Amino acid sequence: MSHAASSAIPLTGADCFLRAFDDEVRRRAGASHASQLVLRLGPGFDLAAFESRLAEAAAAHPILHAPIRRRLGLGAPAYRLDRARAESAPKVRVHPHLEGRSLPDLFFARMNEPFRAERGELLRVDVVPRPHGTDLAMTWLHMLLDGAGSEAFVEWLESVHRGEREVTELPPDDVVTSPGLPAGLTFQQRGRSATAWQAWMASMAEPCPRSLAGPLADLRQDLRYDLLTLPEAETERVSERARQKAGFLTPMLFYLACAIRAHDAIFRERRLDPGAYVVPLPVNIRPKGSEHAIFRTRVSLLWFRVLPEQVRDLDGLIGELKRQRVDAIKAGRIEGGVIAMDFARWAPKRVYAHMARRAMKGELCSFFFAFTGEFAGGIDRFFGAPIENAFHAPPVPTSPGSVAAISLRSGRLNVSHVQQAGMLSDRERELFQHALRADLLGES
Amino acid sequence: MGHAASCHSLPVARDSAAMSDWTLERLTVRVFEILRDELLEVTGDFTPGSDLVGAGLDSLAVTQLMLAIEESTGVWVDESLLTPENLETSETLAACVHEQLQQA
Repeated sequence: MSHAASSAIPLTGADCFLRAFDDEVRRRAGASHASQLVLRLGPGFDLAAFESRLAEAAAAHPILHAPIRRRLGLGAPAYRLDRARAESAPKVRVHPHLEGRSLPDLFFARMNEPFRAERGELLRVDVVPRPHGTDLAMTWLHMLLDGAGSEAFVEWLESVHRGEREVTELPPDDVVTSPGLPAGLTFQQRGRSATAWQAWMASMAEPCPRSLAGPLADLRQDLRYDLLTLPEAETERVSERARQKAGFLTPMLFYLACAIRAHDAIFRERRLDPGAYVVPLPVNIRPKGSEHAIFRTRVSLLWFRVLPEQVRDLDGLIGELKRQRVDAIKAGRIEGGVIAMDFARWAPKRVYAHMARRAMKGELCSFFFAFTGEFAGGIDRFFGAPIENAFHAPPVPTSPGSVAAISLRSGRLNVSHVQQAGMLSDRERELFQHALRADLLGES
Repeated sequence: MGHAASCHSLPVARDSAAMSDWTLERLTVRVFEILRDELLEVTGDFTPGSDLVGAGLDSLAVTQLMLAIEESTGVWVDESLLTPENLETSETLAACVHEQLQQA
């Protein structure tokens, strides 16, 4: 299925959630809420073929460069496919390899440049040849693709390159109007569910979380990230430890617990009261049969809240997170989140961000977290080059100013800790990495 | 971001019966039907002996299955029992649940 038949595709509720924070970042921090993935490729990358396929993809799927607007300024915002202009199509910039220049610096800069979404500027690619390979960073306005969608896009593009599918052919369910919205509920039922979800969210604010960046302030966005890559042997140990401590189907709770404790190490170092640790865990809401849907954000959020005294013991913390996860699923919080966010599609974006900030006294949460499992596990090569490593660098507003993203690729665990520059001292960044490693590996 | 689990928001059909009515065979059929019809995307060759993780079983599907089992039997399956061995097939999962039912 392709987008060609539609003139507009509505944003999902989760897209609108991100759009509200994109607006906030734009107004207050002079940037965009843009996510990035990095592919570290071995030799053999076919740049010309990649550029050609990307251009074909943009022509076949104008959502890749469609302006995001409300029709006549009313209704839910949508990708206006009929207004997509060729000059806004994703561009590939090739940079010379510069000896001595830190590669991430270039990629950091890309995350901090504003996207002109109103003109359909939604995705950029940067390519940097190395002596024996290529680094590729894809940076996009986060509402265009979620983490799973970005990996699905990479895999889809590779499958087009290999001739396994036509460029017009998208995975099933890619163009449905309201992906993830529970079917068969009356308006009243949806209203009750959304209200219950909001009440649940409000309960997270007592005591109020405190982020390392502190409450929202006008500050130019300057994101950077530290990447921790564990070798295969250590990754095996960590994965086994995650399975043992959190269960083999819910390793994300082990990683979340480790991330909470790494943040807690800094709070303790600063002798600051973190209030409660309140952290959202994105949950993929792709239904069966559309696991590889690419475009738009298809997530709900499970929120966790633990008090500082519950953080001291790793096993106790994991047990608490497990309990909260099951309780939240039993109470229908995943569906409730989808419904609540769907209602917000009609709300002005500033109202949405304002409501969220007001509930948490200027904060959103303690930090962002994501565990995305195996990164693009369906492919081992990309346009002729072996994938040596790959990871996500998700965005974060300047408050909370910190996001930990964990994924696996080729038997190695990657932790990218994206943070507002200057928010942590060098010593605190080291402390974070040290505390994280210690919990991941079980080393004191 | 994030895709540790897929969410299937369809309500799982209920089959309430007294705890003692749940023989291993009946439980196996029930577990198999929930997985086949409501939680997994499977083809016609999916059987009670099919590999579940290979068929797409994830953490959320397991939790939803546990909810359906609790609704049916009144017993919440202890999470510590959700091992790779017990989650291998519908049969092994049903056997694990049945054992816990016997002890409840």
